[in-house]
Amino acid sequence: MFDELDPLLHSQLRLAVMSLLISAEAAEFTFLKEKTNATAGNLSVQLDKLQEAGYITVEKSFKGKKPLTTCRITTKGIQAFEKYVNTLKQYINK
Amino acid sequence: MKPEAPMTAEQSLALITRMIDQAKGNVTRNAFYFLLWGWIVLIANLGMFVLIKLSYPYPFAIWLITIPAWAYTMYASFKRQKETSALTHLDSISGWLWITFGVCIITLIAFGYRINFQINPVILLFCSIPTFMSGVILRFTPLKFGGVMFWIFAIVSFIVGHEYQFLSGAAAIAFGYLVPGYLLKRKESQ
Repeated sequence: MFDELDPLLHSQLRLAVMSLLISAEAAEFTFLKEKTNATAGNLSVQLDKLQEAGYITVEKSFKGKKPLTTCRITTKGIQAFEKYVNTLKQYINK
Repeated sequence: MKPEAPMTAEQSLALITRMIDQAKGNVTRNAFYFLLWGWIVLIANLGMFVLIKLSYPYPFAIWLITIPAWAYTMYASFKRQKETSALTHLDSISGWLWITFGVCIITLIAFGYRINFQINPVILLFCSIPTFMSGVILRFTPLKFGGVMFWIFAIVSFIVGHEYQFLSGAAAIAFGYLVPGYLLKRKESQ
């Protein structure tokens, strides 16, 4: 019997964001948008979902006069990502 | 990227791998610092050797040329850090590696008088660590080679007389920073 994959992570864009954040200490919104090829609107919605789940923190500030959004993965996010990858292994090694 | 397209386990894994690779590829390459310090320290070493040969009473004054380089390095790193859009763990490791190296070198220079200024071979040994590790972090073999060259010339410096340590230091910096620095610059511009 396989564990269920975390539905929050089992979505292309959210998984892509979490994979980028697991490798980076902090990443700006523009970096995530560029690497995932997502639209700004869609990325914002998915970031909100990850933030609501406590998987990431989103910090809004300013770089000069431009608004700056910086995302970081949380400990809870790292644990969820690890669990997701371990569950994934069960599916692949079946 | 469509957010809700169903994914198989294999597709998920492929996506994770691809994104982690993307973030890894973001490690900043820093040819500029190797070239700046390579030339400054090369000139200082050769200058010191010449001034000793000319019996100038304060040959070590040539090392004052490193002060603007320190100031500029700190300014440029701070500016670059502000401009970067993502800070990877490797960027952070690399940055702290060089900061700790800088702190150790400054300490060694400040307290050099306690060990009769026999610091040249020790400085070269210190240089071998961050240079070699930068090669590992950037996956760039010429920098690993540079690290080994620092180690070899540190041994040479332990063996030769005091004034020739500066020639050994100049050779170390040429092979350790300048050669890998120019190769890294070429790679960056590609």
